[in-house]
Amino acid sequence: MTARLAITGLMKRFGGVVATDNVTLDFAPGSLTAIIGPNGAGKTTFFNLITGKLKPDGGEIRLDGVDISGQTQSEIVRRGIGRAFQVASIFPRFTVEDALTAAVLTHRQQTSSMLRRFPLPDAASRAREIMALVGLERVGKTPSRYLSHGDQKLLDIALALALEPKVLLLDEPTAGMGPEERWQMIERVQRLWSEVGMTLVFIEHDMDIVFKIAQTIRVLRYGKVLAEGTPDEIRSNEAVIEAYLGTSLEEPA
Amino acid sequence: MTARLEVLAGVVLGALVVALTLAFGDKALLDVLMRLAIFGLLALSLNILVGYTGLVSFGHAMFFGLGAYSFGLLMQSGAVSIPSAALITLVVACIWGGVVGTFCIRLDDIYFSFLTLAFQMLLYSIIIGWVSLTGGDQGLMGGIPRPPFLGINLAEPRQLFVLIVVVFVVCVLAIRQIVQSPFGFALRMIRDNAERARFLGLPVQRYKLIAFVLSGFFGSVSGILMSLYVSGAYPNFAFWSMSGDAIFMIILGGLTVFLGPLVGAAVFLLLNDNITRLTEHHGIVMGVVLLAIVLGMRKGFLDVLDEWWQARASRAEARAGGDRQ
Amino acid sequence: MNPEALLACLTTPACIVTQVSAGMIIGMLIFLVASGVTLIFGVLKVVNFTHGSFYMLGVYFALTAYGLTGSYAVSLLAGAIGVGLFGVVFERFFMSKVYNADVLMQLLVCYAFILILDDVVKTVWGGDFLKMGMPEEFALPPIKVWDGFVPPFYAFLTVFAVLIAVLVAALLGLTRFGKIVRAAAVNRQMVSVLGINTSLVYALIFGLGSVLAGLAGALAAPVRSAVPGMGFDILIESFIVTVIGGMGSMGGAFIAAIGIGLIRSFGTIGFPLATEGVMFAIMAIVLLIKPTGLFGRRAA
Ligand SMILES: Nc1ncnc2c1ncn2[C@@H]1O[C@H](COP(=O)(O)OP(=O)(O)OP(=O)(O)O)[C@@H](O)[C@H]1O
Ligand SMILES: [Mg+2]
Repeated sequence: MTARLAITGLMKRFGGVVATDNVTLDFAPGSLTAIIGPNGAGKTTFFNLITGKLKPDGGEIRLDGVDISGQTQSEIVRRGIGRAFQVASIFPRFTVEDALTAAVLTHRQQTSSMLRRFPLPDAASRAREIMALVGLERVGKTPSRYLSHGDQKLLDIALALALEPKVLLLDEPTAGMGPEERWQMIERVQRLWSEVGMTLVFIEHDMDIVFKIAQTIRVLRYGKVLAEGTPDEIRSNEAVIEAYLGTSLEEPA
Repeated sequence: MTARLEVLAGVVLGALVVALTLAFGDKALLDVLMRLAIFGLLALSLNILVGYTGLVSFGHAMFFGLGAYSFGLLMQSGAVSIPSAALITLVVACIWGGVVGTFCIRLDDIYFSFLTLAFQMLLYSIIIGWVSLTGGDQGLMGGIPRPPFLGINLAEPRQLFVLIVVVFVVCVLAIRQIVQSPFGFALRMIRDNAERARFLGLPVQRYKLIAFVLSGFFGSVSGILMSLYVSGAYPNFAFWSMSGDAIFMIILGGLTVFLGPLVGAAVFLLLNDNITRLTEHHGIVMGVVLLAIVLGMRKGFLDVLDEWWQARASRAEARAGGDRQ
Repeated sequence: MNPEALLACLTTPACIVTQVSAGMIIGMLIFLVASGVTLIFGVLKVVNFTHGSFYMLGVYFALTAYGLTGSYAVSLLAGAIGVGLFGVVFERFFMSKVYNADVLMQLLVCYAFILILDDVVKTVWGGDFLKMGMPEEFALPPIKVWDGFVPPFYAFLTVFAVLIAVLVAALLGLTRFGKIVRAAAVNRQMVSVLGINTSLVYALIFGLGSVLAGLAGALAAPVRSAVPGMGFDILIESFIVTVIGGMGSMGGAFIAAIGIGLIRSFGTIGFPLATEGVMFAIMAIVLLIKPTGLFGRRAA
């Protein structure tokens, strides 16, 4: 089976810090993968490289066989890699529905029209579909800045979904949430993944969540791939137990 | 409100104002309304950038001055009619906006503000320096000829008044259409979070440039109207304080409500005229008023209302959503 | 446009000396104002659009002090300290209130003060041009350089401005205060967690930036006439210099300021109507080729 997203020998340095050190990873189409690793392991940097926010110092990033490293953010977005951010990145003064409609319009390249009125009906109905998918219909008319923290993260994901991505990267979707909210969130993400059938990669610090829902787990440490495998394989991996689980005790719950 | 209703409302209101003024108003009222239309359009056009795109231009008066001078000079040349002079002027303004905008949008935030200001001062210094063409600090002297066209005689104050109101209404409706279009919402995305917009695949720079040119286009329309109204053009049209006043108007009225800048222009003119009448310390009074608004409310009058309304609505939704769960 | 005159000047040592010295004082005044703007921006992340008005205040303070005491040294102190104190008050009571607001609010606070200060100056000192004249300390014969003559005050102004620049650079680069300032510029929260009163640091930096503007004003007083609203041109020029030199780069501002000064000075001979245009053209070219300015690092 060919990989949807194939990373080979990816490198990124920040001065003396090697944030991404010769990372080689494959992501199969339709897979659900968790990326874990202690703070500063280079997880966010890895996403930044894939999405073109940072330029890699070396290596290849292939999406369906095409090398996309070095392309601009918007080119990469258009090729089908969507992303939600560690800190929710939303449009504070848009209502949820308007934000999603605008995102859909952007994706369909229909934002250049000055003669028609926002929202165009079919974009709005697509926006409502997405809202239903992630469970944001409750707050459709609420300006994004008044949303709860969890809903803002959801909206961020929903914005990425508006692009109908083949690959969706979620950077700590549950960051800053209470235990209950976390589970709600991750169940939504999982449902989303099974319903939409895209390749989903998420960064997560909560080990209970990771081991429960991920098909495969990739462990990063000091920018390197420390281990990869199914949850069971990772659980019994000596290197991970030694290197990672030790530090995970320091993680906040 | 749908586009059609808005057009209807605009036309009816405009016609009403024209009819009532012509029937009952005196020369003073005509003057007040014409100035309001001109400065209201200036503030509304600037708000395309400030309120909708989040780009705080401090050089908007360059379009006001450019419109007035270009139109005035063309008319004084005697070679063209009023409509063609206006058309040529608008083309010139768009080219200027395109060139200057290309530079300005390369920088963000406060540097954008400064660059626009700097280019405006370039225009200003050209106006002051090129005495043989522009009359320097004396302005375009000798009046601007207003030959009749299509049976319209703008030398006649009432006809001028009607024209200014008509152009104003058309421009306001056009701006309204732009900011309510998909393009207008793309601008709002840039205002709210340009980085995220880029990540959704929006060509942010190109849109900023288009917004800049559009804003300049309507700004120079108000400049043309101004030169028709005063039958001249003066360097202070392109001076930084004119840009400052335009921003002042926006913040007075509010930048999140479409007609906020127009309301602001009305309040500003009211303040301005009365302060000039009552005291010599015009700058001090205006400055203190501005400080009070900025530090006291942190937004315009209509913004406060709008925010209150939105907060109320979303509380209501939260309550309804809570019931359903 | 008069290229022959320019060529004639460029081939005459005396003319070159005269124009270069005139260009240097223009440049140094711009540099002092610009470095104040840059300093404040570098640490506080706000642009003080009132800086031109501070320069104007410096001129008037110096004028008054000179009128009262007849001593130019006192005038310099009056300009520097007076404007410095004013800057601190302005920062504490007004600017600090909009640090977290958007650019529009910061701009409007500054605009309000430009309006107010111009009017206050007009009320206190009148709307007419005022002149200090050359202070007695500098009523000396001109200094002969090469084939030309440099007025002693010009030499003093240039050397003094360079000295100030070195002093400020040393203050920021070598002292504990400088260390705190540089840390606060990168991460204010971290510094305040360490128990340092960052509000005080901010006020001091704003004050220091204002001192530079006030000094520039006081230095300009003998060679410029004072008039309300005079601060605006130098504000624009100091911004141009910051953009060309690179935001946050004092060295860049220094070089760009000298460049602009020379263009202004030689421009009055060769292309009097186009000096502004040339300045802007240079800025435009720099922006096209290197948006962060000649010596600027990547924008934060
Ligand atoms: N833009 C940057 N400039 C310099 N250094 C950076 C930059 N981005 C990340 N780094 C460094 O690279 C390393 C990896 O950072 P990264 O944010 O990728 O970690 P992370 O695994 O996402 O951590 P966390 O779990 O805290 O989110 C860190 O040492 C960080 O300081
Ligand atoms: Mg991270």
